[in-house]
Amino acid sequence: MPFARKVSIFAGVWASLAMAPAQIRFEEIARKAGLDFRLKNAAAGRFHQVELMLGGVAAFDFNNDGCMDLYFTNGATLPGLRKAGPEFYNRLYRNNCDGTFTDVTATAGVAGEGYSMAVATADFDNDGLCDIFVAGVNRNILYRNLGEGRFQDVTAKAGLSGVDARRGKMWSISAGWFDYDNDGWLDLFVSNYVEWDPAKEPACGPSDGPFYCHPNAYRGLPNQLFHNNRDGTFTDVSGISGIARHVGKGMGVAFADFDGDGFTDVFVANDSVRSFLFRNQGNGTFQEIGLEAGVALREDGNAIAGMGADFRDFDNDGLPDLVVSGMINDGFLLFRNLGKRSLFEDYAQRSGLRMGTRQLTGWSLGMYDFDNDGWRDLFFALSHFPALDRFIGRSSALANGVFRNVDGRRFEDVSAGAGADFQKAAMHHGAAFGDFDGDGRIDAVVTTLEGPVKYFHNITPDGGHWLAVKLRGKKSNRQGLGALVRVTLPDGRSLYGHATTSVGYASSSEPLVRFGLGSAKTVKRLEVRWPGGGTQEITGVPVDRIIEIEEAGGPPK
Amino acid sequence: MRFVRVAAALLVCGVAAAQVGEKAGADSRRSAGYPSYQQANTLFVEKKFPEALNALDAALRLDPKLVPALTLKAKLAMALDRYDVARECLERAVAADPLSAYARFLYGFQFFKQNELPEAIQSLEKARQLDPKDPRPALYLGLAQESLGRTADALRSYREAIGLGEASGKLETDMLLSCSRLLLLLGDFEECGRLVARALKLDPKSRDAHFESARLRLKQGDGGGAAREGELALQFHTGDVSERQVHFLLIQAYQSSGREGDAARHAVALRALEQQVQK
Repeated sequence: MPFARKVSIFAGVWASLAMAPAQIRFEEIARKAGLDFRLKNAAAGRFHQVELMLGGVAAFDFNNDGCMDLYFTNGATLPGLRKAGPEFYNRLYRNNCDGTFTDVTATAGVAGEGYSMAVATADFDNDGLCDIFVAGVNRNILYRNLGEGRFQDVTAKAGLSGVDARRGKMWSISAGWFDYDNDGWLDLFVSNYVEWDPAKEPACGPSDGPFYCHPNAYRGLPNQLFHNNRDGTFTDVSGISGIARHVGKGMGVAFADFDGDGFTDVFVANDSVRSFLFRNQGNGTFQEIGLEAGVALREDGNAIAGMGADFRDFDNDGLPDLVVSGMINDGFLLFRNLGKRSLFEDYAQRSGLRMGTRQLTGWSLGMYDFDNDGWRDLFFALSHFPALDRFIGRSSALANGVFRNVDGRRFEDVSAGAGADFQKAAMHHGAAFGDFDGDGRIDAVVTTLEGPVKYFHNITPDGGHWLAVKLRGKKSNRQGLGALVRVTLPDGRSLYGHATTSVGYASSSEPLVRFGLGSAKTVKRLEVRWPGGGTQEITGVPVDRIIEIEEAGGPPK
Repeated sequence: MRFVRVAAALLVCGVAAAQVGEKAGADSRRSAGYPSYQQANTLFVEKKFPEALNALDAALRLDPKLVPALTLKAKLAMALDRYDVARECLERAVAADPLSAYARFLYGFQFFKQNELPEAIQSLEKARQLDPKDPRPALYLGLAQESLGRTADALRSYREAIGLGEASGKLETDMLLSCSRLLLLLGDFEECGRLVARALKLDPKSRDAHFESARLRLKQGDGGGAAREGELALQFHTGDVSERQVHFLLIQAYQSSGREGDAARHAVALRALEQQVQK
């Protein structure tokens, strides 16, 4: 049986059997949980562009205790770009599996250097330990997980400093791990923003009120792709892969095999220029087809200030769709994958998302099923640019947004009912998603500019059943990133997901493939298609738990 | 940081041209600076901007409170992207003549262009009170309100601008299309279609109107119709819509109607345009 990529014939049944909607609710418990991280951008009235952009956070399990830990990136001095004191350190917090976290940055040795922006976590060397890549303005760092809570900076040996022979160190703003050639080893994609020099910051804004410059004031940069050589080193294949041919102003990066050819493709949201969709041609090269696919621009042909992106299936037809956040008056983008001729349709207006987000500025985001009703909802980390207040006559700080997916047809803003903590405005930026307390409900950790981190604990009552799939590759990469998972419910309905940690903006989320199951109390069949093409099937899967699936055949690497 | 939709051409067409018809009051005509102002106005219309600026400076040396000279200098400054100068001129103009609707309108307009929306709305409302028959303040009020998410207010203002435009014989496609764009977003395809049709009738060679017609058709699932309207839009060159926007729309229109070759042709054209810009 082929891995379904057609509109489910059960869509009508699905709609009729849907459970009563639960109000998605969160409580904010960062302080209670011992998360005392503060994001510091060192802004001092000089309107340096980098001050706007930081805040990446990762949810990952570095010590394999089954509980998601957290890594936060942080700023540095300006214009020096140095982590001059502990207030600028990147921070690693161990999840104690009891609702609390402990700062273990010092023993882990991951405080970082330079002005950090983003984090991407994955097990790049297939040793069963999740590693950390930090992308930044003047320093990129690869931390190899040595086990027992310690990491080693292996950037130089790995060849991942990001220094380009012609352009020098480019300002990296997001990154993600994926296996583009299906060789079982994770490769690294780095999204670069603009040419920037603190000594040459242009002056912008009205004479009586300087402001951050529009991205047009800076030259764009190409992105980078690094091939994993399977020996702890990487080769820069940006040129030969075709990635470097395209100069943009890269922001969030998201991966999915959107055309079902077995090779993972790449979407890069660009800021104020058209976005890129790199189709993986399966031979080590990529073709940029954002225009042809209809995802390069908003439907009126204008570029938005693209920020975060997620590449998942919102309408349960087995085809990964795209959501992209933007700036006030952009309206966020939602592209529905039509599954023919690599074409997407702009679905933002029809789904209600365009008008519902026009007054918002969104940074990180995630498409997850927060109420486990079987349809993936949307969470947006929101805030306008600092000092925008005078232009819009209201605060730049915003409360976050959560939009409930109504039967895969429209998104309904349910933020107002998401609890008192959720209504509090702040300068929200990065966001990572994971189930930090193991209750089956997806939580969100959100960084705030010049403020404390927020841990939005999902307390949605009366949600549906759920299933999380933890993959262990053998021929494939150890975490199974890129694997497609299809679950079939007893009534024949199917749900689809794929493993990725690259979610939102500058951030990294848990690698598990999660499904809200609504009222279904069992999963009839679960199928995995591994990145190398192998498939596995399990029947009669119990729900409300994490199940681990190890790739069949062959010895582990 | 630009975050409102600004119709750049309006600065040249709608706003700049308006000065030609702006009636100077008797006080102005008696002013010592008036002849120099008249000369500047002529030079401005001829797009001899540096010369116009010199003439305006001469006029304002003779009469620093000459409102038509101040408003013209403000427009010139805006055309040159010197909003600091424009604002200063307009502050002087509204202080010199608090009842000048045109000075007040331009004051609001420059706030709008600078994305200072609450101030823009305040000034445009005042301008509307001073001259309730002028459709321009209502149009820009609508644009500013829409940018602040005040959708119902914006629709009201657009409709008012259309009504005033009709009544005064100054109806412009921008008034109709600003309203139709918002209606398209709101999913009111029917009224949107009526307004686009009126815009096309008003100016059959308007790129913007054909583009909006194509967008509407694409939304309605008529890829072939969208392609026809898009190709027409490409033939005309007046308006705010860029060639790039039209090419992108045509890619979608042809893709959705299965004409991949034509879609590819427009993708190539769009990329070529981008390369030209980069060079």
